[in-house]
Amino acid sequence: MSIELKNVDYVYDSGEPFEYFALRGISMHIDDGAFVGIVGRTGSGKSTLVEHLNGLLFSARGDVIVDDEIVSNERTVLAKVRRRVGIVFQYPEDQFFAETIFEEVAFGCRNYGFSKEQVDESVHKAMSTVGLDPERFLSLSPFQLSGGEQRRVAIASVIAMGQKYIVLDEPTAGLDSGSKLAVLAELESLRQTANVTVILVSHNMDEVAEFCKEVVVLDGGTVAFQGSTDAFFRDADLVDRTGLELPESYRLARALKECGSPLTVNERSTGRMLDSLRLCVSDLGGA
Amino acid sequence: MALSRSFVLGQHYPGTSVVHRSGALVKLVSTIALMIGVFVATKTVQYVPIAFFLVVGIGVSRIPLRFFARGLKPILFLIVLTVVVQIFFTPGPPIWQFWFVRVTREGLGLAGFILCRLVLLTLVSVLLTASTSPIELTDAVSDLLKPLSHVGLPSAEIALVMSIAMRFVPTILEETERIIRAQVSRGARIGEGSLVARMKSFIPILIPLFVSSFRRADDLAVAMEARGFRVGSPRTRYHARHFQYFDAFILLGTAAALSGVILWRLFL
Repeated sequence: MSIELKNVDYVYDSGEPFEYFALRGISMHIDDGAFVGIVGRTGSGKSTLVEHLNGLLFSARGDVIVDDEIVSNERTVLAKVRRRVGIVFQYPEDQFFAETIFEEVAFGCRNYGFSKEQVDESVHKAMSTVGLDPERFLSLSPFQLSGGEQRRVAIASVIAMGQKYIVLDEPTAGLDSGSKLAVLAELESLRQTANVTVILVSHNMDEVAEFCKEVVVLDGGTVAFQGSTDAFFRDADLVDRTGLELPESYRLARALKECGSPLTVNERSTGRMLDSLRLCVSDLGGA
Repeated sequence: MALSRSFVLGQHYPGTSVVHRSGALVKLVSTIALMIGVFVATKTVQYVPIAFFLVVGIGVSRIPLRFFARGLKPILFLIVLTVVVQIFFTPGPPIWQFWFVRVTREGLGLAGFILCRLVLLTLVSVLLTASTSPIELTDAVSDLLKPLSHVGLPSAEIALVMSIAMRFVPTILEETERIIRAQVSRGARIGEGSLVARMKSFIPILIPLFVSSFRRADDLAVAMEARGFRVGSPRTRYHARHFQYFDAFILLGTAAALSGVILWRLFL
């Protein structure tokens, strides 16, 4: 079971003078339980790609396959696909409409016909997953929260539906650094405990390096790279060609190597980079 | 789902013809005068001067005829309804009769008269909006209202409100699409089910839309004040426009058409 794209094209204004290929021959594969990053410069087709995953857009050519189901405009298929793939859009707190946080988070569950007890349980679980105390928050208005709390409620309102695949488009944009890490750590724990597949669209390469084991790199509507995140960031030329930046940790590692320093760092995350650096420095000091 | 593409906004058809380049105020005044002319006429033939002027205008504008046809479409039902009512319900000696349905000469005449009136009114306004950008048009409205500012009407502010409203229509359509996509992803079924269910399904779209519109309005107000905007203080225009010779042609042509109609009605 997985998400698979086979040779997918998407064209805006097809057949008109302004015809524009947003996606061209996209083939990719996302395994169950993975934490996958989708990266690429602005206009590379990330958002268009994401909207194919739950049938908001339909490919002009090629197939999008979610768990053996070819995504199409047919009602029953769409219902199944949307039941499996949840999307948290950019600035998801802009969709708030309910009087209380409970109603907001319960909205999706009710749309999918959960029973009263199921709704209750899913809402409480989702709130705990995003680190908000249900007892304290559920009766408040979603509009009176801080930015970071609002973002978490918005994410909870999607994960409460219990979908197998969760796609997040820039979930940390506009958050302070503490909230950023916390939100991503919550997603990682969701992946581990509930075996949810997390697909993260991001411009923040530090985030991607730290949380995504695999990455799909888009450039001009085509897949420029797909594979392990570490392998991608080690190919500095490719990173540059696709208009992206190296994460801080990889940059430091490269700089150290270039100046022939005996120090080595673990690039995988900023935290581990600092740990390994500390270790190296104390080794040198001891020697 | 491409909401913004299914709307034709402001019915503006960009071009470089003389009609496009002439002043918006001139065109607005001319349009109003022609509409008055249309209502002054009491017989179908009296429309001739206006129709002639309009046909010349449409020809010179080089706007394709199907654009005008599309402008007539929304009022097609109104036209058909009034024409039918006039044909069948005008009293007089019948020229054709079947059971209780009767057609009179007067009815046909009146139907033709009303038909011409509606078509002329529509075409005149379509020519105005097609050849003038919404921004130019609001400036023209502001100019037209200017004399009233002496009696306390905030004409500049009214024009500003209009132009801001128009400026944000595409933005808000885009925002609407965004919200619809998000709510559909949360399992919302928009416009489905019973009437009550359908109306309820719009709440999750309308509330976020209102919230974001108010926030946007707030941001815009702050941004404008930060750049020196003060209510009531005079402002200059980025696109200053001066009277040109073809403006005079339009005004003279309009005057000729209007006086033609008036003279025809009075003396023929």
